[in-house]
This record gives sequence, structure tokens and C-alpha cells, in this order.
Amino acid sequence: MTENLLEQLEKEVGNCINCGFCETVCPTLDPSGFSLWKGARGRVIMGRTLLEDKKNGIPVPVLSDSFYSCLDCHACLYVCPAGVNAGKVSQLSRELITTSSDRRNENPYARMIVEVTAKYGNPLGVKERSADWAEGIGFDKNADYLLYTGNMFQLMPYTKNLNSARKSMGKALSNFMASRVANHPSLIRLLSRMRDRKMEQKNFETLRNIVKLLRISGIRFSYLGEKEPYPGTFIYDLGYIEKFSKYANYVHSVLKGSGAKKIITVDPHTYDLLKNTFPKFIANFDLEILYYLDLINIPTIQDRKEKVVYHEPCHFVLRDPKYSRPFQVLSSTADTALAKRSGNRSRCCGGPDELTFPELSEKASQIRYDELKSTGADLIITACPICNVNLSKENITMEIADYLAARLPS
Amino acid sequence: MVYTDALREILGKNVIFDPVEKTPYLSDASAFTGKEPIAVALPESVDEIRKLLAFCDSNKIFVVPRGGGTSLTGASIPLENFIVLSMAKFNRILNISPADRYVVAEPGVRLDDLNEKLSEINFFYPPDPASSMAATVGGSISTNAGGLRASMYGTTKEWVLGLEVVLPDGSVITTGGKVLKRSAGYDLTALFIGAEGTLGVITKAFLKIWPKPEATGRILAYYDSIEKIGLAIRNIKASGITPLIAEFLDRITMDSLRKAKGMAFPETASYMLILDVASTELSISDDLERTASMLRDLQPIELSITRDPEEMARIYEARKGAYSSLLKVRTSSNQRVIIGDVVVPASELPAALKEVAAKAEELGIMVALFGHISDGNIHANIFAEPGDKESMSKEEEFQVYLGKVALQHGGSVSAEHGIGIEKKELLLDQERFTSSEMSIDIMRKIKHAFDPNDIMNRGKIFD
Repeated sequence: MTENLLEQLEKEVGNCINCGFCETVCPTLDPSGFSLWKGARGRVIMGRTLLEDKKNGIPVPVLSDSFYSCLDCHACLYVCPAGVNAGKVSQLSRELITTSSDRRNENPYARMIVEVTAKYGNPLGVKERSADWAEGIGFDKNADYLLYTGNMFQLMPYTKNLNSARKSMGKALSNFMASRVANHPSLIRLLSRMRDRKMEQKNFETLRNIVKLLRISGIRFSYLGEKEPYPGTFIYDLGYIEKFSKYANYVHSVLKGSGAKKIITVDPHTYDLLKNTFPKFIANFDLEILYYLDLINIPTIQDRKEKVVYHEPCHFVLRDPKYSRPFQVLSSTADTALAKRSGNRSRCCGGPDELTFPELSEKASQIRYDELKSTGADLIITACPICNVNLSKENITMEIADYLAARLPS
Repeated sequence: MVYTDALREILGKNVIFDPVEKTPYLSDASAFTGKEPIAVALPESVDEIRKLLAFCDSNKIFVVPRGGGTSLTGASIPLENFIVLSMAKFNRILNISPADRYVVAEPGVRLDDLNEKLSEINFFYPPDPASSMAATVGGSISTNAGGLRASMYGTTKEWVLGLEVVLPDGSVITTGGKVLKRSAGYDLTALFIGAEGTLGVITKAFLKIWPKPEATGRILAYYDSIEKIGLAIRNIKASGITPLIAEFLDRITMDSLRKAKGMAFPETASYMLILDVASTELSISDDLERTASMLRDLQPIELSITRDPEEMARIYEARKGAYSSLLKVRTSSNQRVIIGDVVVPASELPAALKEVAAKAEELGIMVALFGHISDGNIHANIFAEPGDKESMSKEEEFQVYLGKVALQHGGSVSAEHGIGIEKKELLLDQERFTSSEMSIDIMRKIKHAFDPNDIMNRGKIFD
């Protein structure tokens, strides 16, 4: 396993010629104060250091912040003349770190999230509340489609408050706390009492709006309710691949158990993970993975007075630049612009670093927010709960489901 | 020796001491690896730079200013007892005056970002080294960078009107300024162009800008020999047309772009020519056709013309990434590509290339050739294995030969990459070849006048 990882890492870093193109689009370089090890080229260089030390049997220095701070947006890939993906270097390096017996490089928050997910099927141990949004909604039974929320909208109110607590604690205490929880996952129950109730209500409303949009479009679907597991995104992103493999098979068995053939996801992270990553870990994966906007059919608004700007989620546009369904749907209801950096030059909202590097995440989100706002649009429209939270600086940011639902004919 | 407290007092949080965090600063885009610096400074103000340089001057600490880290000759890497001075936070465009034809920019502004801003008013800053996405204003001035458009607009030295510079003793001078002409004694601005940070730290640049050409078009032509391309370019230039860009690529380079970018090229072509014509909307079609006709006279294997902006951008970006794309055709994963950069008078280029290719064959090494044919600039890219003594010895022999060919044809050992660490010996060869050994002494005296304690990027350009 490790040898294979080393080979993959060698292949990736060996193609790099140090031209530095990647760091010009890397969304973490500027927010880190331009310290190169938190930029794309720096990560490739650190990956080379890790590789050489591993190959030579030298103890690896504490360098993991370089890789854990990567947002996995993959913007670097699109500008690299040699096809190097610095995001993949980070991913492989994290895998190497998590499979090492030397724990000094492990991120305490990463370990906390993984251990809690393994125990509760949810990174913050709040699975039993994940279906509260659906109270009073009757879902179909044995439908071809299964609505799979992946818990992302439900988790955001907790992560927001967890971060506030983290900031007030300071890094050392916060890391100590995360290590304690990693060792005793049940402690998460104390932390997860804190949630932003206003955001929770807003996100519940978004999920209900998604249901409304699907129903108006004539889609019949079931929902697993409290039994719905978290998809395992963090476990994969943080490099715990063996654990992810086991966990993904568990999630897959739950999804298959529903009898549905088609899975409707509601956020780009879950969509990307199920569509592009699960098939690599699950034999004969035959579920069709959709994003809910693929299925909706709502009337076009002819007189589009409102000017909006759409922030493209990395896990759509930087995984498959041709995937433009949210933009198409939005364009049919509003005068829709894109930020100066869009398409395969799109800039991440900084969200994935929210738990591991909150300050960096905040600065990255401010840069993106300013770019979006500078278009002069009335509203910033997101299609991802993480983007939505990170880009909600003022009262002009709206999730696409809420925007569309509010404009449906009464 | 530890300078932590003093540096913290000068720079506050804008300094890195952690050895791991400093690692990426040991390298740039060259094949060289530097020594661990004492610290990496990331100042935010001229005042911080003034204090830092004065401190380093007093304590005999050497300083290497770093822009985009795209040097191909090791100019931006630290050696023993160095501090890296990153100009990354000096990244603002301060003033644009299209009427007066200048822009004032800080040295950390990347060239593509500058041009993106200027394009909003339909102007541009012509120097466009292939690294322009990452290269900065300060770095490109310090290496007198050229690029594709040098065919029509010349290199960086043609476009710098003035500079604000912090000298090693902490004093600040402004050379030149916002005006397009100036006749006021020695041209100190010119001294900093190509100085590779050995004289002082550029903190502000006054750059000349120009309206973008009204219309451009691109011709792609493929030939079985470089002589035909050389002759075609000579005919085109003699007819009064100056190509906006004129790039040649050899077969190995085409194959690497096919692998890296999925581009298609005629199988039988040995060389490709990318030629841009700039004109007015009214006459671009005629000018393109007139140029194409001269290219057709030399029996190309294939020729096409495009004015499609997306297609043109795709080819332009591919050419700019050609150096990096070469890694796709390595024959071993241990190989690196080491880029050579020499210049000969444009009409000598085909003959010089033939000699260069013959030497590569004699040494049994793989060398990819591309470059700017309109100004005689050859980039010979050598596939070498840094861990293999024989391979590196051949690489060195080839580089020396490349320089010799350039000199024998009346050119220079460095066209646009500077001297850095890599070409110090070649620079000496050049001065000997032209019986100008004294030039190096004069350079040393100039450096001494600015930097008496020799703290600025010591060990680069000359010893």
C-alpha cells in the first residue's frame, strides 16, 4: 500500500518543473500570507521532501500543515503545462501521513472527525438530528429515486459554532481538545450541543425547498431519514483511505438497501464523492448519481430583472468543467453573471479548511466574496452548503434552491 | 548566528524561521537547490525593507530578493548566510495613465495580472516571457526578460521608465520616472535591468504601456527543415512586415505538446512555425494572406490561418508551457529538462541550430529545440539526469558548446534568462571572446558603488 503510494507520489512530483504557474491560482497562497508551503508549488516541493525522506528512511519533519491546508479545489491542475495536480500530491501525502506510525504529522482535527464518523456515522455525532428538517413531509416508499442529503446542510450549523469555540480557545487548547475527542469520540456529544439555530432553520428550509422543486418537477423519491449515513467525504479528503474504503462500502450497502437505483444528491461534495470516488472502492457500483438540479423542470422567467452572480462549486466546475446545470437553471430565472475568475479558473470559497485552518479559510472566503461582489450583482448564488456559509458575509448570499423556490409561480 | 529577535522587531509577523516552512524557498525554476536561508522575509512596506537591508548590511548577511521564483539560472535561490526577501506582498498596481502611456506597479505584481488589468482599457505591457503567468514585474526587470512578443516590441529594457529602489544601506532612490524621455546623466534605471537583485531591491516600477494591436491573426506552418523557416522569416521581415510573434518548435516539442495538451501536428513535420501578424481590422486579412503567401513559397507541409481568439489563446498558452510539457517525453523518470538560452542574429539561426543539433547527436543526448526565431533566440532543452555524473557532464559540455556557437555567430550566451549561478563561466567566456574582460571588472565596480559590503545576491552573475 505504502509502496504504491510512494510510486504514485513520485510520478506526480516527478513531472513538476517548478514553473510556479500553479501557485498563481492557488486559493490558499494569499490567505496564508504568501508562505509558499501553503501554496500549490510549495506543496509539490513538500511532497518531494516527504517522498525522499520516506524512501531514504529518514524521519519526516512536521510538514503536514502544507498538505492539510490544501482545499482540494484542483484549480492548479488546469494551469499546469505538465499536467501535475498539486491537489493530488496533497491527497497522496495525507494518505502517506495517515498510514505512518509516526503520529506527529497527523492533524488532530482530522483524526477527531474520522474517529467520530466511524463511531456515529456522522462527523459530529449528530446523526439522530439529521432528519429533523423532514418532519411532517411524507416521502414515497420503494421509489426508483432516493433523496440522499449526505447530512451536509444539517452539519453546517454545528461546524460554525464549533469554529467560534475553537477561535476563542486558541490553537493549542483546541488541538488538545480535538485529540481528546479523537481518543474518546463520545466527548463529541458535549461539543455538538452547540449549534447555530438560525442557520439550522435556514438550512432545513433549503432542504424543504429542494423537496418542493423536485416534486413540482414530478419526481417521486424516498428518503432514509435518521438512517441516512454521512457519505464519508472528510474521511477520504483527510487521507484515511483504508477507513474510507470500509466506510464507503457501508454507505453503499445502506443506499442499495433502499432499493433505489438513482441517488439524488443535494451538494457538490457528496455528488462528486459518490459519482467519481465510490466506484473506485466499490465493486460493481451501479447506482446512478444525480444532482437534484439535473431533475428539476421549472418555468423560464422571461422578464429577468434581477442580476445575480453564481459562485461555481469546485467539485462541479473543477472536476468536470463541462458540468453547468446549476448555471443553466439559474440563467433561466435571473440575469446571471460569473465572477472574473470562473470556469476552470474558478476560485474556491475556502470552505474545506473551515475546521482545520479556520483563519486561512476566512481570509480565502473574503477574497472570493469580494470578487463576487465586485460584479455588481444584487445577489450571490451558491450551490453548496459549505460555499453558502463561507460566502454569507452580508445579507446578499442565497442558496440556489431557496432562490428558485421563491420564484416559483404561486 | 541567531538574528531572530532583531528580525522580528523589524518585520513583526512577516518573517519565517521554521526550517520546514522555508523549504520551498530553496528552489526556483532552475535545476539548482540553494542552502537553508537564515530567514524568509515577507515585508509589507518600504520601511520594513529599508530597515531589513540596513540590518543585513551591518551584519554582513546576504540578501536575495525573490519575485515569482521563475528564474531558470538560479538567480533567486539563497546561498550560504542568506535571507530570502520575498516581494510577494508588494502586489498592487498603483496607477495607470493611458494618456501618458505608463503604469506604476509594485514588483510583486505578476505580468499576466498586470496585462489583465491593462486589457480593461485596451492597453498592454508587451514583455511576455513564457513564465508570465507566474513571473513578476520585479523579477522580469531584474533578468531583462524577453518573451514571444519581443519580436515586435523588444525586451523588458525597452519598457521600463523608472524605478524606486532600496539600496543596501537602507536609503531609497528613484531612477527615471513617469516620462517617456529623459536625458539627465547616467541611466541608472538601465543598471537595475538585468542586475538580478545584485544592486538593490526594486520596490516600485514605472513601466511604459501601449495600446493593444487593433487586430491580430495567427499562421501555423509546418516544414521539413529549419532553413525554410529561417528563409521565410527573412523574406517576411525584408518585405516590411514585423511579426508580432514568430516561434519555432521542433518535433520533440510538438510530440510533448501532443502528449501534454492533446494537440495534433502533421506526422511528417520536423518544425512548426507559429507566426502572429498585428494589423488593423481593415487590413488584417490582406496582411495575413500576404505573409502566408511568403510562407507558402517555401513549400510548407501544412499551413493554416486562424483569427479565432479561443484557438489563438490555446496555442499561445501551449507554446508558453512548452518547456514544462517536455517532461512528458522523458525517457526516464530521473530525467530533468534543463533549458538553454542563447541568441544569435536572426539570419544566423538556421545555421546555428544545425550545429547545435549535430552536437547533441555527437554526445548522444536528447535535446528539444524551440525559441523565438524572429530575434534569433534559441532555447535548447537538454534531457539530463542530475544523479548521473556522465549525463550531467554531457549536459555541461553541451551548454558550453551552445554558448560557443552563439558567440561564433555574433550572439550572446544569454538572451533573456540572465546569468544567475548557471552562466557565470559562460559570461566570462563571452567577455574573453570579445576581448572585453574589463567589462566584468567594471560591473564589479558598479556593484561596489551601490553595495560596498557585497550583500546583495552575492555569488550571482559573477564572483
